[in-house]
Amino acid sequence: MRNISLVFERIARPVSLVLVLLFAVSALQAQDVKEGAKLFKANCSTCHKVFGKLTGPELAGVNERRDEAWLLKWIHNAPSVIASGDPIAKELDAQFPNSTMTAFPQFSEDQIKNILAYVKSEEDKKAAAGADGATGGGGTAGTASSDVNNFMIIGLIAVIVLAFVVILVLNKVIRTLERVITSNKDLIPQPVAQAPGKDYVAMLKRLAKNKKLVFFAVLMLIIFLGSAGWKTLWNVGVHEGYMPVQPIKFSHQLHAGVNQIDCQYCHGGAYKSKNASIPSANVCMNCHTGITASEKYDGELSPEIAKIYRALDYDPETMEYGPNTRPIEWVRIHNLPDFAYFNHSQHVVVAGVECQTCHGPVETMEEVYQYSQLTMKWCIDCHQNTEVNADNAYYEQLIAAHEKLKKGEKVTAALLGGLECGKCHY
Amino acid sequence: MNRKNFLGAVSAAVAIAAVVAACGEKTTRSTRWEFSRNMYDPIGYNPDQPNNNFKDGKTAQTPPTGTTPVGFERFAYVNTVQDYERAGAELTNPLEKTEKVMAEGAALYQVYCAVCHGAEGRGDGSITKDRELVTKSERRMLENFPPPPSYAASDSINSSRGGAMKDLTDGKIYHTITYGVNLMGSHASQLSPEERWKVVMYVRELQKK
Repeated sequence: MRNISLVFERIARPVSLVLVLLFAVSALQAQDVKEGAKLFKANCSTCHKVFGKLTGPELAGVNERRDEAWLLKWIHNAPSVIASGDPIAKELDAQFPNSTMTAFPQFSEDQIKNILAYVKSEEDKKAAAGADGATGGGGTAGTASSDVNNFMIIGLIAVIVLAFVVILVLNKVIRTLERVITSNKDLIPQPVAQAPGKDYVAMLKRLAKNKKLVFFAVLMLIIFLGSAGWKTLWNVGVHEGYMPVQPIKFSHQLHAGVNQIDCQYCHGGAYKSKNASIPSANVCMNCHTGITASEKYDGELSPEIAKIYRALDYDPETMEYGPNTRPIEWVRIHNLPDFAYFNHSQHVVVAGVECQTCHGPVETMEEVYQYSQLTMKWCIDCHQNTEVNADNAYYEQLIAAHEKLKKGEKVTAALLGGLECGKCHY
Repeated sequence: MNRKNFLGAVSAAVAIAAVVAACGEKTTRSTRWEFSRNMYDPIGYNPDQPNNNFKDGKTAQTPPTGTTPVGFERFAYVNTVQDYERAGAELTNPLEKTEKVMAEGAALYQVYCAVCHGAEGRGDGSITKDRELVTKSERRMLENFPPPPSYAASDSINSSRGGAMKDLTDGKIYHTITYGVNLMGSHASQLSPEERWKVVMYVRELQKK
């Protein structure tokens, strides 16, 4: 026993020393990697990903692909390397004809090495995760699920056993009761033969004779049906609260709320025309060429974003668009009848009405529903209370006309816009 | 049944009716009862509506190749590095620099650019920062959009197409808004040529920061 502890002590000392040293070195490296990660995110991630092509080539394996001296030179000032006629640089330039690697003269050699260390560490992480997935990772997941299974199986067995016990006990009780009944048949008084329904009928007949009660029952029924009917009729054709299922689970809460993208970014038509316009899919792609929400789907492309790609026939691997586009058929929520003219730009630009005034807190809606009634009464209520901002050219003309009237001058139809083409030729 | 009972019965009925009326889901998947639906459906085609008159079933058609819609301004430069440089050398902002135009440019910039480029063009827009999404069913950090390079002179960052960001010319910025570059998509469908020049004017202002 003593021998063993001595041996252990002898081994433990150098091992702990090595561990401490290793830890110190890895801490230093971690610092480098952290610094590199920061620089990478701020400067490189616009065009490069560690895994997968973006505007520039995939960076995984770059430390093996090129030697360090060349990388330092290249990252410092790529355009000059291309100009110098370097064969690798020329080949890269030919591969990416529409973009050239940005020059980063502000980076020190150490900073570039840190970035490369970060790329390497990401590769190691992925390799480790891959190995884990094959062995360790699978193991832990397995135990976790088997825990659940064990618990469920034990629970199920307990429930079944309990059910058996209850059945047995009940059976016994029934048998004893039957025995008691057969032995004491004469003692039990026979129930008076009477149909169970007759009782109620008799009671109802008695109540029906009470005229006051009947009156109140009818009154209540009328009030109930009347109010329910009234409400239903008023809501015919009113789509307030209408929240159809859309072809893509697009969350306004995420895009307008959390990301703070202005309504106008996608629905710019509201500021320029009658329609608020549904954005075409190229507007989605302004962000979703880069954003794939893969962290939510274990590194896979989000199935909802995949629907945009399908609509555009876009291949995320090659980053190219194909010819087989097909529209995304969004379901219209806000639909004014065609006999009512409504113009978005008039309300948003001229009157300065906020989108939320009519559409509600869209920036908090996971799924959009119709917030307002969009009935004629709803329009009129707002129009009766909204003050007009007379500070524009249209009212200047009217005010000028009034001034003329006050002075007793002649006011012609032309002054009030009577020469506008649309007045006659609409 | 005295008067008290009568009043009691009536108020109970009203209360029940009110409760029933107030009940029901706030949102529904259906449009519920409708009367004369055809009055709501347009006779003319709305731009986002399906349309059987065209082969591809869409109302919004792209103009036939080789035609120019009324009022449409063609951009004489294509999406290549050569034409980017050419546009940068040849084009200048046609708009007169006034306070009003600058303010309009700033407003457009805040809507269409600041989400990524940041309110002052330093590449720190809202979607480049850490954000948390909290809904009924999930709580997660959202992916950060890679930050674009800053325009500001004080940050002295280089453009991926050569030269410093602070030295980008009118034509280069206009070309970039029109065609996009790297991760930035084309914003031509969202900004009219005139609006693009307004934004260019404001970006030139941000470069001085």
